[in-house]
Amino acid sequence: MSKGAAEANQPSPLNRRVLLVGLAVVAPLVAVLFMNLGRNPHAIGSPLVGRAAPDFALRPMGGGEPVTLASLRGRPAVLNFWATWCVPCFEEHPLLVRAARSLGDRVQFVGVIYEDSEEQVRGFLARQGEAYPSLVDPGSRAAIAYGIFGVPETYFLDAEGRIAAKHVGPLDAASLAAKLRLVGLQP
Amino acid sequence: MTPPLGPLRRAAGLALAAVFLVAAHAPAQEPAGPADPSRVVGPPRGHAPTAEALDARTDEVAGLLRCPVCQGLSVADSPATMAVNMKAQVKELLAEGYDEDQILAYFERSYGEFVRLQPPLRGVNWLVWLAPLAALAFGAWAVKRALGARRASGTEPASPPPGPDTLPEDPKLARYVLRVRELAYGWGGGRSPASTD
Repeated sequence: MSKGAAEANQPSPLNRRVLLVGLAVVAPLVAVLFMNLGRNPHAIGSPLVGRAAPDFALRPMGGGEPVTLASLRGRPAVLNFWATWCVPCFEEHPLLVRAARSLGDRVQFVGVIYEDSEEQVRGFLARQGEAYPSLVDPGSRAAIAYGIFGVPETYFLDAEGRIAAKHVGPLDAASLAAKLRLVGLQP
Repeated sequence: MTPPLGPLRRAAGLALAAVFLVAAHAPAQEPAGPADPSRVVGPPRGHAPTAEALDARTDEVAGLLRCPVCQGLSVADSPATMAVNMKAQVKELLAEGYDEDQILAYFERSYGEFVRLQPPLRGVNWLVWLAPLAALAFGAWAVKRALGARRASGTEPASPPPGPDTLPEDPKLARYVLRVRELAYGWGGGRSPASTD
């Protein structure tokens, strides 16, 4: 009995080899899964952060001179890509309007309309409030240049037109305040 | 007395100054976007395809770009509005004479390497291309070694074909096999009737 028990506790050479090969195959897989499963595959870091913002010249809705990157220089800017069909955009809209009103001239908020009709946007802004220009982006050229994956996505530009931060998804008060601090604003 | 290194050193100093000047000016030239792609990837390096070839070429290049709003689809294959818009821009860039590398670089600047469906051969990406080949080579080596070992141990495998009383080498496993045969076939001690004759 004691001999049998000792044998049972001692893995045979074959079993040990199977175990080692199995571990060699499975351990890296488990490690990769463990490191990446908690990550949102769509939250890919933007290569633009820390670099000069891509240039653009877009017509504001309702007419007027095109808004360009150069025209935003001199103070921080918040570039919010959004659409009326996007529920998180609807949720963050009041916060952006409030922030734009309370910060006034210290920062320029700009909305860039993503795959939406001007008519829809006009109705939305009439109902939900409007505090800053919304720009029309034909062919999504600006959205592509800014590497937009979906809406809402928001870029924070410093006074020199450099991208200081990108926020993917709806902003809340805390994340908006944190990102505004990155461009030198104390909200 | 001037050492012979003088002119060389002066040239090096000038080169260094030039590097600093270029570095200082680089950020100012960097911004670009929908307004002017040449500010990102330089002036067009290729030749615009003929009108007949343009559509086919557009499909080729768009096939190398990942549609950012899709799951694993190329810009050429996706019906999403974003993909259609990107494809339109690819066509425009081709018509303006930008070559494939420039167009891929243009989109990569905005979306990162993610936008390339084929990871370019650089840095850690070499692993992606070389690891399968390495695994194949290792497998071939392992098979060759196993065959060689078998050949060295005798002309052919010495073990007879498995019969009803064949047992695994592992003594622990062998005991289980015997037990299973005993339970399944009612053989005493797991030995087949033929063996006890």
